[in-house]
Amino acid sequence: MRFAFVLGETFSGIRRNLSMVISVVLVTFISLTFVGAAGLLQQQITQMKGYWYDRVEVAIFLCTDTSTTTSCAAGPVTDSQRQAVQDLLESPTAAPYVKSFDYESQDQALEIFQEQFKNSAMAGTVTADQLPESFRVALVDPEQYEVVNELFSSMPGVEIVSDQRELLEQIFSLMNMASVIAVSVAVVMLVCAVLLIATTIRLSAFSRRRETGIMRLVGASKTMIQLPFLLEGVIAALAGALLASATTWAVAEFFIGDWLTGQYPGTGFIGGGDALILVPLLLLVAVLLAALSSILTLRRYLKV
Amino acid sequence: MTTVGKVGTETSPTQPLVPRDDRVQGQVWNMIRFEQVSKVYDRRSRPALHDVTVEFERGEFVFLVGASGSGKSTFIRLMLREERASSGTVYVVGRNVARLPSWRVPKLRRGIGVVFQDFRLLPNKTVYANVAFAMQVLGKGRAQIRQTVPEVLETVGLEGKEKRMPHELSGGEQQRVAIARAIVNRPEILLADEPTGNLDPETSLGIMAVLDKINQNGTTVVMATHDDDIVNQMRRRVVELHAGGIVRDETGGGYRTEVQA
Repeated sequence: MRFAFVLGETFSGIRRNLSMVISVVLVTFISLTFVGAAGLLQQQITQMKGYWYDRVEVAIFLCTDTSTTTSCAAGPVTDSQRQAVQDLLESPTAAPYVKSFDYESQDQALEIFQEQFKNSAMAGTVTADQLPESFRVALVDPEQYEVVNELFSSMPGVEIVSDQRELLEQIFSLMNMASVIAVSVAVVMLVCAVLLIATTIRLSAFSRRRETGIMRLVGASKTMIQLPFLLEGVIAALAGALLASATTWAVAEFFIGDWLTGQYPGTGFIGGGDALILVPLLLLVAVLLAALSSILTLRRYLKV
Repeated sequence: MTTVGKVGTETSPTQPLVPRDDRVQGQVWNMIRFEQVSKVYDRRSRPALHDVTVEFERGEFVFLVGASGSGKSTFIRLMLREERASSGTVYVVGRNVARLPSWRVPKLRRGIGVVFQDFRLLPNKTVYANVAFAMQVLGKGRAQIRQTVPEVLETVGLEGKEKRMPHELSGGEQQRVAIARAIVNRPEILLADEPTGNLDPETSLGIMAVLDKINQNGTTVVMATHDDDIVNQMRRRVVELHAGGIVRDETGGGYRTEVQA
């Protein structure tokens, strides 16, 4: 009975204040969608790190005819120089860092190149002797790239030691920046949402001041007087959070999961299932913000 | 086997609102007691109440008279703890209201019904719903509401008008609804702040009859008014305020003489 009455009061408040409540729903919806987007980006970064860090290698490129770096001034790599690099890779000095390595010849390099760029006009024009031969080294700890770089980059016949992780790091830092931007937008929007909730509650309390005045007079408890207003804010924010959750899930499921995965089959993408982890978080943020701003507003504008 | 102990702990209609240990020790407690109460709203102007000491007994009917600005409304607000006294102490049912923690204030107000000059009805609710509202917000059950509201409406003389809206009623009828709402939770005290201020003399008498009936049922009634006719006709205790102080405390009809300060 008592709870039914509070709920009844809540919904009559929402009906009277409908346009404000809808604006709270929409602002919460947009702001939490940005939070959701940032969450998805972070999940995607984690996913890609896990996927790629196992596969990335340090490549030791050897000199070719066309090499222009000073270390290759003596011309293409000789057999003895190549052997020296291989010996060092197998030696106890390198053993703590090197998990495994493969030799990639110029012909193999061409094959891979043509596979990667099969849709491009470049594939036909490149020949094997333009591509460097290389040792592909998998490291025990990918962070130890600098040590390997020191060991090999000064050896004769070595053009350059390159860390593929650096390329990935660039992508990740780009994605990180995007998620920082998303979070910044979300924070601004959430501030809007909090202020809007406060204003809505204030208007609602004002439009029902007769009722609350009588409630005080006959000795209704603080809970009985304030709970309908609190619920009004929380319900509106929850509705916004549900919309944001649905949007976040749809983006993860259909855009990332279906479309992007179809476009780039080689990359590990997240899907709708991963987005579901974000849902409780979004709901919690909505409830906490709405409850907090309602309580602060009521404390100030609805004395008991 | 005896049941005496059990009977002693049961809630009776005369049970006070507050536990025994909260009451003033070693004295018979009054319904309402002001001890040297002063209230200052603004330091530069004169106090709204100045050193007021007065007691109202259980079941009394008291008129609080005086011109506008004499402190009548402040007097009522202090009892409801809408305000706190600047100095002195206000006891309601033996309890110092200034010392009540804020979460206990609703409980204090449940023991006090209030009626105003402007009725303060909810315009979008029927007569029945207006009275029922006061019970709903205290979490009373539907069955209890269905039983109590018609009884109370009969007490104030509004039987058969349950489904009317406030704007369909005369001023006197609206005030009866407000009185019904004030007493539906059976408070021990009824405060009426100029309840006949908006009503013509004949309608006012009807309202006074209702208040008198409520008083006969054991409720302490304190009515602030400046309607001389009514005060003279009723011949009850009269406390007159002037410029924040009590200038007269007379018991009409010889109930009691002076109240000891």
